[in-house]
Amino acid sequence: MTPDRILAEVRAMLIEIIGSEYALSLEINMRTSFEADLELESIEFVRLASMLNEHFGDRVDFVDFLADKGFNEIINLTVGEVVTYIADCLTPAGALDG
Amino acid sequence: MDEVLANGVRFHVKRITPHRRGNARPAQPVVFIHGLGMDNMSSFYYTLANPLAHAGADVILYDLRGHGLSERPRSGYRVQDSVDDLTSLLDALAIDGPVHLVGNSYGGTVAIGLAAADAERVASMVLIEAHFTVAGWAEKMEATLCRIGADLAAENKQQWMEKYGRKHSRMAELANDLINGTTFLTDLLTVKPIDPDRLQRLTLPVRAIYGECSDVVDYGHQFKEFVPSCELTLLPGFDHSILIDAPVQLREIVLDWFATQASVTT
Repeated sequence: MTPDRILAEVRAMLIEIIGSEYALSLEINMRTSFEADLELESIEFVRLASMLNEHFGDRVDFVDFLADKGFNEIINLTVGEVVTYIADCLTPAGALDG
Repeated sequence: MDEVLANGVRFHVKRITPHRRGNARPAQPVVFIHGLGMDNMSSFYYTLANPLAHAGADVILYDLRGHGLSERPRSGYRVQDSVDDLTSLLDALAIDGPVHLVGNSYGGTVAIGLAAADAERVASMVLIEAHFTVAGWAEKMEATLCRIGADLAAENKQQWMEKYGRKHSRMAELANDLINGTTFLTDLLTVKPIDPDRLQRLTLPVRAIYGECSDVVDYGHQFKEFVPSCELTLLPGFDHSILIDAPVQLREIVLDWFATQASVTT
């Protein structure tokens, strides 16, 4: 699955979580910050993680992704960092090169 | 969304079953219980839950009734209701053996309440800035929350949005409804002080952690007097918000604690 496709799926989940009315005023791209740009509540980030878990299953290990991150690192995550992690989990090493 | 119906309420529950089973894992599930008001399971999700799951523990997080993404009924906010909710939730998850409890602030009150009511159901407790229901506790809590409720009621949703932005206005909206739109405050005042004899009978392992400058640190000292098995740690320079302000220190203490529990139980 390409990063563009993953981004589109993450974007759709975020619009479901924050509501299309509010989301209409926002551009959600790889540089978008969950906290600074989307003003996502922390409980909404937990919901996003659950939706991603459900969607991608055991192929994407969010526990591993989050376990070493501090509180502020999670707060300051961007959509791109999550998308890239998912892409790395779903793609054999080296397949994204070039 | 992960929903579980328990005690007549729809709870938002997140169970993190580890991909790998590390060596430092306790045999029993670890249940996290958050604090009151604007808190929810995310404060643990962002700090302790994932590292513990990564170490191999079976981790369960839930939003208390009226909080986070759980249902917000108009009543049922007594401490006893919170304890009953937890018991029913464990039943609904088909967990009938003992669990480890990690409670922050009021979450510690709930953990202590379950241990005092049914010690067989609790393998150990980690109490972070835990309150417990000594005489005067409810009145102190009610006064604090009443002030917050009055501040929230003085402004409307549009004013919150302009003043705080989306994230904090949503948190204010939820807290306002909880404090001013339910029996939350009056239910708090119905609590009776916990029976000291029940506490003194507790022999389970307990690790209590408080900020040295916390306004509730006396609860830690009092609890240790009742429960000698309690190991009390004070974090120098920190106040009540240690879960958010001292996550690195807490993570180290809690991971070490559960590695010890694992060696005891395996």
